[in-house]
Amino acid sequence: MAIADLTPNAADRAPAPPRGSVIARAPRQRTTAWPLVDRVAYALCWAVGVGLCLIALAIVLFMFFKGIAYLRPHLFVESPAPSAVQSQSGGFLDPVVGTLIVAMLGIAIAMPVGVALGTWLAEYGRPAWLARAVESVIEIIAGAPSVVLALFGLLIFSQGYLGFLSQTAASGGVFGRSFFAAGAVMAVLALPLVVASTREGLTRLPDRLREASYALGRTPATTVRRVLLPAIRPDIATGGVLGLGRIIGDTAIITILLGTFLDLEKVGSVPVLGTLRGTGSTLTSYIFSNSPAGEGNAPGKAYAAAFLLLMIVLILNGIVTWLTNRDGQSDGGGLSRALRLLPLWSRLTWR
Amino acid sequence: MRAHRTLTHRTLIVSAVLALALAAPASAVASKRLIIDGSTSMLPLVQKLAVAYHKAFPKIPAPKVGGGQTDIGINDVAAGRVDIGDASRDPIPGVDPEHLVFSKIARDGVCVITNSANPLPNLTQETVQGIFTGDIRDWSQVPGSSLTGPIDLFDREAVSGTQDAFQNIFLGETLKISPSATAESSEGLEVNAVGAQKSAIGFVSFAATVNGGVHTVDYQGIPCTLANAKSGQYGGVRNFWMVTKREPKGEAAKFIDWIVKPGNLTVRKIVSSLWIAIH
Amino acid sequence: MDRHPLTAAPSRGPSRTRRWATGRTDQRVERTLGALAVTVLILIGAMLVTVFVKAWPSFSHNGLSWFGPGGDVDSQLRAMQEVKALPGHSIYYFRGWPLIWGTLLTTVSAVLIALVVSTLAAVFLTEFAPSAVRRTLDPVIRLLAGVPSVIYGLIGILVLVPFINNHLISESRRASVGYVVQLNGADVMTATLILTVMILPIMVAISANALAAVPAAWREGSLALGVNRWRTIWRVSLQTARPAIVAATVLATARALGEAVMLAMVAGGRGFAPNLLDGLTALFEPVRPLAATIFQNSEGLTIAALAHTIYAIGAVLLVSAAMLSLAGWAAKQRFKRYGVRA
Repeated sequence: MAIADLTPNAADRAPAPPRGSVIARAPRQRTTAWPLVDRVAYALCWAVGVGLCLIALAIVLFMFFKGIAYLRPHLFVESPAPSAVQSQSGGFLDPVVGTLIVAMLGIAIAMPVGVALGTWLAEYGRPAWLARAVESVIEIIAGAPSVVLALFGLLIFSQGYLGFLSQTAASGGVFGRSFFAAGAVMAVLALPLVVASTREGLTRLPDRLREASYALGRTPATTVRRVLLPAIRPDIATGGVLGLGRIIGDTAIITILLGTFLDLEKVGSVPVLGTLRGTGSTLTSYIFSNSPAGEGNAPGKAYAAAFLLLMIVLILNGIVTWLTNRDGQSDGGGLSRALRLLPLWSRLTWR
Repeated sequence: MRAHRTLTHRTLIVSAVLALALAAPASAVASKRLIIDGSTSMLPLVQKLAVAYHKAFPKIPAPKVGGGQTDIGINDVAAGRVDIGDASRDPIPGVDPEHLVFSKIARDGVCVITNSANPLPNLTQETVQGIFTGDIRDWSQVPGSSLTGPIDLFDREAVSGTQDAFQNIFLGETLKISPSATAESSEGLEVNAVGAQKSAIGFVSFAATVNGGVHTVDYQGIPCTLANAKSGQYGGVRNFWMVTKREPKGEAAKFIDWIVKPGNLTVRKIVSSLWIAIH
Repeated sequence: MDRHPLTAAPSRGPSRTRRWATGRTDQRVERTLGALAVTVLILIGAMLVTVFVKAWPSFSHNGLSWFGPGGDVDSQLRAMQEVKALPGHSIYYFRGWPLIWGTLLTTVSAVLIALVVSTLAAVFLTEFAPSAVRRTLDPVIRLLAGVPSVIYGLIGILVLVPFINNHLISESRRASVGYVVQLNGADVMTATLILTVMILPIMVAISANALAAVPAAWREGSLALGVNRWRTIWRVSLQTARPAIVAATVLATARALGEAVMLAMVAGGRGFAPNLLDGLTALFEPVRPLAATIFQNSEGLTIAALAHTIYAIGAVLLVSAAMLSLAGWAAKQRFKRYGVRA
């Protein structure tokens, strides 16, 4: 929208220049003509910008090169060796499997609950005080540090009646740490993202969609189920992928609720349940264990695992970009689209 | 079409819930696996014993062994959270929770270690006490050291049994380790920390020194080796205990009895590899 | 089958439509969803209440001096672990100032530095950078924004900590504080640096998005009036993007506050309150922020006094996070006056 368009009288607008003629353009004012303060700020911008480029590229390239240097095929198929000889042999098969299990558990719980909550908040939301309370609680969860959530999870899952979700000592105490426990708390971590995406998607849908559905004789429940939710599938998927990103990146919950041992240890002989009730590790706790802060003292393996984790994050980022770009309903100019993406962006890395 | 899909969905959900509901109590009953935690110095020993126990009795699942340090293990077993606690220090009446039964399973040597770049030949008791209480603060004041510069002290956390053992054996009742020392929370971390800093000094169990990376210092002229610890020449030896609430019973009793049974060659071989066997 | 809304036959048989179209079903759906919302509310409410209930003994024994200075916080925690109270005090005795000071130092410094750097960098990216640079940097920044914090901790502990330990801390500096605390490269400076690098990408991304979304007309109008490019950016673009920058800052602060693992790796792990009067040496002294303290003591939750203290620290963190959210909401309200939705 050019300044010229603001004038009410179209006749006052300057006539368009004839085709083929050369348009004289005044040269851009050279920065050397600026006052000193502005020149200093300009130089600072450039310095910071170039510095940021260098640091960002340095970090990425460093992780890539270190990772490639230490990544070996045998790492993917071997389990972590017992503690003393960690630096010589073993791989990260168990941590990779553990990451998959925790991620799947977390998302499997977070998605249905999150979509249902988001739908209720956006479409129903009665009584109003309940809706406000739920919104505030979700906000608090979104901002709570994951260590605090992990503490609470440990408290809950150490209760006697939840012993079937982990193991029970022969003398009666509940161990409290298992994939179930970690998965449940991870779901709480991912919940705000899914809720936010669903809500935004639903509030962005134009009312005419709902009105058309009602005009055809459908009830609000059917409308939600058959019209609205399918329409916001990309948003829900984005929320899920963002939640997945947050789950995969968390270490505190894993260390507290899944234990510090790297091997997958089943509990009992039931096939799937035994693993879910048992302990293990994920890539993040594996990296922590192998860094100088943990006992493994195998930085090479830590770099290799970090590289794998980075690849996973890259893929997740790609999926989010693809999903948000696919969204063809952009009604509004650049400002509204950017501001619409802002909350999604802001949740991209909420660890 | 819609009815068919709905019916399939409902059947799936109901059967999944039923399967979970049926399997849960079944699995809760079936596995009464021993849960052990406590001393990080005992961790490698008890892990090896657990694996050997499962090999000897394949029907019994291998006990789950964790760390956390001695006092945590003692508290956990008193609270009933675990079946057996590993303690690498002797019981302290009045401080430890009541009704605990300590069963000795082995003995272990505690060595003073320094970084490989600082191969101290020997330390007397006075020097050890001076360094660890903070009276001697620079390597140039330590006879036999080629380093100069401030000493980096590495300690263990208060809940560590090794810390108690070191305190009692090397420092005595009255002296306390300098509060400026960095407290590590496990054996592995202590070894890593001392191995990473040139000017570091710390203490670990003998078993943690065998993988190299740190230099063990002779104490009072006696090298810290397994042979010297066994023969009694090396003074820094402490006991390993397995702690249970009241007399051990059930699975815990079976495991502990298997370990302390005299003449059990498997156990004797495992323990003698890096520790001192007493049964 | 003809699906056009105007010409399609009504859906199959009255019974099928009836089942989904009755008002009762609608009510049932709303009630179910409402019940789910109430369940989630109760569960999470119970979590918050439990944390505060378990934290209460620690606060009640110490009162407001819980937040104040008073001795070495590490020896207070040690006394709780050994169940042997310090002479003259109860077992719950705890003065958390060193932890709070460590948190403030690292978090506030990191956020301030990141705010300045990210604004300048965002301006560079949107206004001054050649488009090739912008195109390469965009995915890189987004990748960095998504990197898990343990990887930043890994880089910190394997690259930065040894570098600072070997090259920046001299023997004399070590000796000058050696009787109180040992310097080993994991300190306030390392923690602040890594924390800044960690929160920069997300702030840059949000600010750059907001700057790019400023209507071209506003910028062109300013330029047409003869204002130079920098002043236009400063006076027009940045003012417009202010809500987004504030939102990004609140986000970054919340993330820095809750960061436990990375800080446990690089901040030094000792509950020590660096004395700023020490000058430059204060930067090299170890700290242990609140979240890292919880993380490092998570194994000792079976000991009663320690558990209450850890929950108290958790309660402090929860309240801080809630206050941050409130501050962010209040800032958004202020900006709503200008009709800008953030």
